[in-house]
Amino acid sequence: MLEIRNLTASYYGLVALSNVSIDLGTHDFVSVIGPNGAGKTTLFKTISGALEPDAGSIKLLGQELRLVRPCDRPHLGIAHVPEGRQVFATMSVLENLEMGAFTAAGQQAWKDSLDLIFSTFPILAERRNQLAGTLSGGEQQMLAISRGLASKPKLLMLDEPSMGLAPAVVEQIFERIRDIHHETEISILLVEQRVMEAMRLCRHGYVLESGRIRLQGSYDVLSQDDGIRRAYLGL
Amino acid sequence: MAFAMSANAIVESILQVLSAGILIGCLYGLMCTGLGVIFGVMRVINFAQGDLMMVGMYTAYFCFTAGLSTVLGAYAGAYVAVLCAGPALFALGYLIHLFLVSHVSGLRAIQHEGEGHHAQLMLTLGVALVLQNTGLILFGSEPKAIQTRLSSSAWALDAFDDVSVFVNKSRLLAAIISVAIAVALFAFINRARIGKSLRAAADNPQAAIYMGIDVDRAHRIAFALGSAATGIAGGLVATFYPFQPYIGFEYVIVMYAGVVFGGMGSIAGAFWGGLAIGLVQQLSTLLLPIQLQNTAIFVIFLLVIFLRPRGFFGRVAERT
Amino acid sequence: MRSLNWSSSLAGPLCFCLLFCLLAFFVTSPYYQLILTIVAVWAVMGLSWNLFSGYTGLISFGHAAFFGIGTYVVAISFSQYGLTPFLGILIAAALGAAAGFVIGLPTFRLRGHYFAMAMLAYPLALLYVFEWLGFQEVSLPMQREAPALYLQFSDQRAYTAIAVGFLFIIMVISRFVEQSRFGRSLLALKQDESAAEAAGIDTLRCKLVAIMLSGAIAAAIGGYYAVILLIVTPQTAFGLLTSAQALVVTLFGGIGTVWGPVIGASVLIPLSEVLHAKLGNALPGINGVVFGLAIIGAVLFAPEGIYWRFYDKLPRREGAGAPQSAVAHMSPEPLARIQPDGLATADMPRAANSPAPRMILEVRGLSKSFGGLRAIDNVSFSIEAGAVVGIIGPNGAGKTSLFNLLNGFTRPDAGSVLLDGREIIGERPNAICRSGVGRTFQVVRPFPRMTVLDNVTIGAYCVTKTATEADALARAATLTVGLENDARLPASGLTSRQLRLLELARALAGKPRILLLDETLAGLGAQEVEHLLAVIRHVASAGITIVIIEHTMHAMVRLVDRFIVLDHGTIIATGAPDTVTRNPLVIEAYLGKKWAGRA
Repeated sequence: MLEIRNLTASYYGLVALSNVSIDLGTHDFVSVIGPNGAGKTTLFKTISGALEPDAGSIKLLGQELRLVRPCDRPHLGIAHVPEGRQVFATMSVLENLEMGAFTAAGQQAWKDSLDLIFSTFPILAERRNQLAGTLSGGEQQMLAISRGLASKPKLLMLDEPSMGLAPAVVEQIFERIRDIHHETEISILLVEQRVMEAMRLCRHGYVLESGRIRLQGSYDVLSQDDGIRRAYLGL
Repeated sequence: MAFAMSANAIVESILQVLSAGILIGCLYGLMCTGLGVIFGVMRVINFAQGDLMMVGMYTAYFCFTAGLSTVLGAYAGAYVAVLCAGPALFALGYLIHLFLVSHVSGLRAIQHEGEGHHAQLMLTLGVALVLQNTGLILFGSEPKAIQTRLSSSAWALDAFDDVSVFVNKSRLLAAIISVAIAVALFAFINRARIGKSLRAAADNPQAAIYMGIDVDRAHRIAFALGSAATGIAGGLVATFYPFQPYIGFEYVIVMYAGVVFGGMGSIAGAFWGGLAIGLVQQLSTLLLPIQLQNTAIFVIFLLVIFLRPRGFFGRVAERT
Repeated sequence: MRSLNWSSSLAGPLCFCLLFCLLAFFVTSPYYQLILTIVAVWAVMGLSWNLFSGYTGLISFGHAAFFGIGTYVVAISFSQYGLTPFLGILIAAALGAAAGFVIGLPTFRLRGHYFAMAMLAYPLALLYVFEWLGFQEVSLPMQREAPALYLQFSDQRAYTAIAVGFLFIIMVISRFVEQSRFGRSLLALKQDESAAEAAGIDTLRCKLVAIMLSGAIAAAIGGYYAVILLIVTPQTAFGLLTSAQALVVTLFGGIGTVWGPVIGASVLIPLSEVLHAKLGNALPGINGVVFGLAIIGAVLFAPEGIYWRFYDKLPRREGAGAPQSAVAHMSPEPLARIQPDGLATADMPRAANSPAPRMILEVRGLSKSFGGLRAIDNVSFSIEAGAVVGIIGPNGAGKTSLFNLLNGFTRPDAGSVLLDGREIIGERPNAICRSGVGRTFQVVRPFPRMTVLDNVTIGAYCVTKTATEADALARAATLTVGLENDARLPASGLTSRQLRLLELARALAGKPRILLLDETLAGLGAQEVEHLLAVIRHVASAGITIVIIEHTMHAMVRLVDRFIVLDHGTIIATGAPDTVTRNPLVIEAYLGKKWAGRA
């Protein structure tokens, strides 16, 4: 599904990603974990097109994304749930979802998507006419994920969904993400700072630190040694 | 002086001024809505808005005199001519954005906050100068006006006792058309899919791109729509007052005052702000000599900028 | 700053003005002579605009306000009170300065487009007021006896000569400002107002001085314009075209340089006048079209003006972008060539030698909320003089908020910060800088066309009185960080390593007792990190206390004496690196509770 090879990117002249390679298959679940400043959000920005990489390739189903305009990439089947939710605060929940379904695929599958969204996140059905800016943090995260689902994606990318949320809410969100993965054919690429939540759900995890992949493997493999702690804390 | 008049006369002049204010206010409202759409969606300061309005006036005038008055008669012809200004200005606005404004606005400019603004201000100032002076070359400096048969007839409304208010028929029709167009614009922005994509692009351009919305194109449409709305408003004003190529600049401050008063970023607020400015302008004739009417607007403008920059009719929730 | 380079800065303007006068001498047609006079007038007006907007970056669309005040002061004082324009112009200048103060003080509180729109409104308001007051047309009467005393001459060339004289004076003033501390401070605040404040520059005072100077010049030349035209109308005084012309000649010719307005006026004014004369009948308003197109062209193709377009193409004085052989400067040893008086002064006891550690910074009960969010919650800690302390914590922990509180950018809701026993809460950032707190920022924005050394010198302004002192401090700081071989390079071509070192040097030039470093290592490659670590250690060894925020843990653990770990605005752990990185609370904060607690 997604093949990233030797991706290198910089931000204002500072190297943010260095030779990163990641593989993700159909109906796969891959996590990228790492501390702050590791380059996780930069990775997302290069995939979604907000940042131009210096070198490397990003292929979605064999198509080189670097040749596709950022606003056209969602139409190819990538849904991006950004860091910090980024909901349209002045629009209602339903309108946010409508914007999520802006793509052709999304418009066609509108009814079914709405069913899936409201069954996964019933609270959104209750608040469908409420302004998104007045929702709680957790509800906004649910809305952001639902917006992604509304586009009927092949690949759902989540950027630090736990950020700024209370632990109980985080737990709920991750359960839903697991449900989504089980109940649909969507592939998921999850970027997270919290190690456990990310590693338990995924098939394969990458540990990103200072722009490079330091470790990779499944939860069983990576939980064995001290590598992850050292990657985060330096000692 | 006022105290020498009878109470009825005072009430009458106040009501007359109020009705004049509301009527012109509706036109200002549409004008400001045009600017409000542009500023609300793209955050672009458009100095040339007044001159786009001027182009609208002349477009309506030429459509009227070139044939519509004979084809459709003096009544309908005028207003159809005014409406023709709509598509014409839409096209002009579209081209101006495509070739000029897009270079100093959009996602690139929004990222560099301070620098983007200056370039927009200066570029649109340049466009304004080109438009008004080209207008002068093409149309000459004699004032023109769109005369309709209705211009000189009025209804008399009897409020109570001896108090009656005269409402000019053509102005009332112009006000109604303004409101209708403004309502149509709101409906588009709030209900239509493309309209909603404009609001999304305004709310959070980066997130809009994540949804697959082409934010550049959204801006272009917003600019074109804003130009069209202001152009139509201009055509309507042309049925009230005579105009000449330099008239645009007088109205730029009116428009900005209205948009700031209503709340920058709120499109509905822009309409109410324009209406309020119309009322202020007419009410100020009760107290101030006619040359200082516009000064009253400036003073309000400056007061709002200093004391309540977010305006009075602004949005409820803040942007992300 | 090196002492003013009198000869080179005056030679250019002097030559230009002499040539101009020479040209004017041979032009016989009064019409073309008038054009020459007006070119000089608009060059001065452009320079006035440049002095304010070009150097501060605050774009004024309302300079016609000052210009118009000047025209009316001279016109009215002459026509109604018989006051000679010589005096009238001086009074106009004074009033222009006053107007600058009155307009600047409230308007500087506005940001971005609000500032621009307010500036636009002032001259227009004045226009309507003057129309209402009945000053539709004020004409200056012809003076029969001693016309020269009233600035009236029969030979048009005299007017040009005076205008050029004016121009020369203003060019000299501009040059002087450009090279003075004041001018550098303006450039600093144009580039990055927060960084300028943190470097000790009183930004409000600078802006006010700039607008007053600009207003005085604009009013003076406005007054002279009245003398030339002999008729003043509200439109010519306060109209949009007046403000626009001041702006356009500078924008077109080059913002932020003495030559810009001169080039702009010399090209655009004759062009539009000639077009107007030749084609004005067939195409009235053609000059407006020309100005409009000039603005559009400038914004799209040469946003900083023609002058800079050409300047940037000229070969550099130094070897263009020749990469310095990095290795020779990376080893720690050469850095030991530090001049001790350039850094911490002798009266600061070194932490290692003093019997009891002196607390240079004491933070007690510091709290700050933004909206409903508690960014900093009852934070208390002390830092010993000479220590190297790292402030770490997961994203959103409040690290930068803490720095902003220590630095004076934000005021806390509660708590106190003592610098060597003295409370610094409530002081403005530039005052705190002068007290000895230096700060670097995450995004380094140097002044691209100034050299490295000049950039560093800005940091020395707040603690020195003379140019030589500032220069000495700057050199010492540049030497300390190892940039002495790059000191003459223009800052635009620097690598990120050099930029970080530049930022550090600038902070050092302010003779700090304590340095707050904000993500100095972020994004650097391994070798570059090593070099910076060496420099930071070296600075610390001279007795300066270092507090550093950083994400790059593997570098931090080798640099700091101890860590303070923040999470959700509170301190969750402090201590030596190896204890802190194994502290379960810290692990939990970084990796998540579940990971920390897994069986």
